[in-house]
Amino acid sequence: MRKYADIAAVTLVLALVPAAAGGSPYYMRLATLALVYMAWTVAFNLIFGHTKQLFLCLNALAGTAGYLAVVLAIQLKLSPWVTVPLGVAAAAGLGALFSYVSVLRGLGVIFLGIVTLSFSLIFHNLVLGLRQFTNGETGLVSRGLGFSLLEQPVPSYYIFLAVLLAALGTYHLLMSSKSGMAFRALSDDELTAELSGIDVTRYKVLAAAVASAILGLNGALYAFYNGIVSPSVFSFVGIDIPVLIALLLGGMRTRLGPVLGAVAFALIEELVRPWGQLNVLVYGLLLIVLFTTFREGMVPVIEKLWRRLDLRQAARLRPEQAEAQRRTP
Amino acid sequence: MTALLFDGVVQGLQLSLLAVGITLIYGLGGVLNLAHGQFAIVGGVAAALLLQLGINPVLAALGGVGAAGVLGLVVDRTLLLPAYRYRGEERLLLGLILTLGFSFLIDGYLNWRFPEFSLSFQLRVPMVELAGIPMRTASLAASLIAVAVFAVLFAFLKLTLLGKSIRSIIENEVGAELCGINPSRTRTLIVFLAAMMAGVAGVTQGLFSSLGTEMGPEFTILGLLVAVVGGVRSINGTLAAGILLGIVNVFASHYVGAYVAYIILLSFAMATILVRPAGLLARFT
Repeated sequence: MRKYADIAAVTLVLALVPAAAGGSPYYMRLATLALVYMAWTVAFNLIFGHTKQLFLCLNALAGTAGYLAVVLAIQLKLSPWVTVPLGVAAAAGLGALFSYVSVLRGLGVIFLGIVTLSFSLIFHNLVLGLRQFTNGETGLVSRGLGFSLLEQPVPSYYIFLAVLLAALGTYHLLMSSKSGMAFRALSDDELTAELSGIDVTRYKVLAAAVASAILGLNGALYAFYNGIVSPSVFSFVGIDIPVLIALLLGGMRTRLGPVLGAVAFALIEELVRPWGQLNVLVYGLLLIVLFTTFREGMVPVIEKLWRRLDLRQAARLRPEQAEAQRRTP
Repeated sequence: MTALLFDGVVQGLQLSLLAVGITLIYGLGGVLNLAHGQFAIVGGVAAALLLQLGINPVLAALGGVGAAGVLGLVVDRTLLLPAYRYRGEERLLLGLILTLGFSFLIDGYLNWRFPEFSLSFQLRVPMVELAGIPMRTASLAASLIAVAVFAVLFAFLKLTLLGKSIRSIIENEVGAELCGINPSRTRTLIVFLAAMMAGVAGVTQGLFSSLGTEMGPEFTILGLLVAVVGGVRSINGTLAAGILLGIVNVFASHYVGAYVAYIILLSFAMATILVRPAGLLARFT
């Protein structure tokens, strides 16, 4: 039971947020956005944290799903119930493809980074270039396409909460099964993992595909929720950098790190919002400082504090136990 | 047709100037510098500020190049120190993230401080006829500067002892260390030189068109693409790749539009990594 206590606590707190927001649309939107980033960060944790694949195209994966879902719904008059799964499948397929090709060609972290960054830019230029479908820089209105639930603040919050819980559930399933063991082994040392009989290719592609599906699902729903899809909604600076920072803040390779990290990042972003353009500077500073001094993240620190508290309680118990033991002959 | 070709070469030389710095820093320092375009921008901004003070344009340009070099020096001696503590993949990853963060730092500051900035040396220069094609002297001058910088770089690498030691480190860092070469000091020198070359690219950009503070990421990406296509360890390859991609870019922009041109360049880089990771023009070794 204890194993799920943290997830249960987080779920409870997140489920109560709409009540705390008191119907303020501003706070509801903020909270919903935080949920979106949490799920994205959970996905990135799988790709980058556990299987060490540097994907610099989170925006393009989420955006491919988002644009496909909206453009197909507009052009072919399909229901979002059809187009969203299509978008998710496309994102998952692309993620799996990048992962497979990188393993096949033995690309190191840098080259996979360059390939995915190139893909991110190709996506951006495609969206701008295919003006007749995407309406270029201005973007498309994604309201009134048959997803009315995502046009109301409170239901959309719970939809994104459900997606987040599904992502966390998938993460837990993966990590507590054989694949979790494989992830741990290959993130320590890929060659050793391969030599001890782990199919490294399979598990890396699996992680990339599952994570890309999460990225895509969230991206597609976000496209409908946001009301507008434009290149700036799915920009590199708007998605990849915040997710990277949130993951570092929370703690890589931890279950709750992405959730806590995204909350922390949302708070920081609210703080720097009045500074306008300078927020980019703060992102840069955060990246540098976090990567040089705080690579563990918050979760290990919290766990350490928790354990110390536990020990102290145990120490307080010990004299009485000793007393009790002395009395029994 | 020939005019387009010339335009391509002019643009290509600028790209090579940026890319060769990325190649040198990667080959020597083991760091993929994602803030390289920002060095160019800092150089351009410094030159523009000096111009505003009423300083002679040539001195201002030199000052801009110097400012970029100093920034490179500072980055090497402070920001990259944690990365240099590691080797191999770990250093690459840390260097990548640190320079990415630094590029945001520079971009954020410059866009906030100089929002409507553009550097442009307003030189009233006549057109000249070259092989029957009208050329703007400014583009010609920019290309000549680039060629001169490359000539000096090649002479330095081939003829001086320091240059030879630099090439030896690119070949094999441990081997060079065993021969008594201090990689750390050479690395600092290279980052300094590479940043200055980026500064030259930034300042000359202001010579034949204009330079804005928002162009940093674009410079970085284009330089990176050229470096990748040329082979991230080969200087000759980078020069050739820059000219090749410059020509491809100009022709593609002219015939199929800027977006498709960019996509073609990106696909070039992707294909190179997947098919010939050592560079499209790398020797078979």
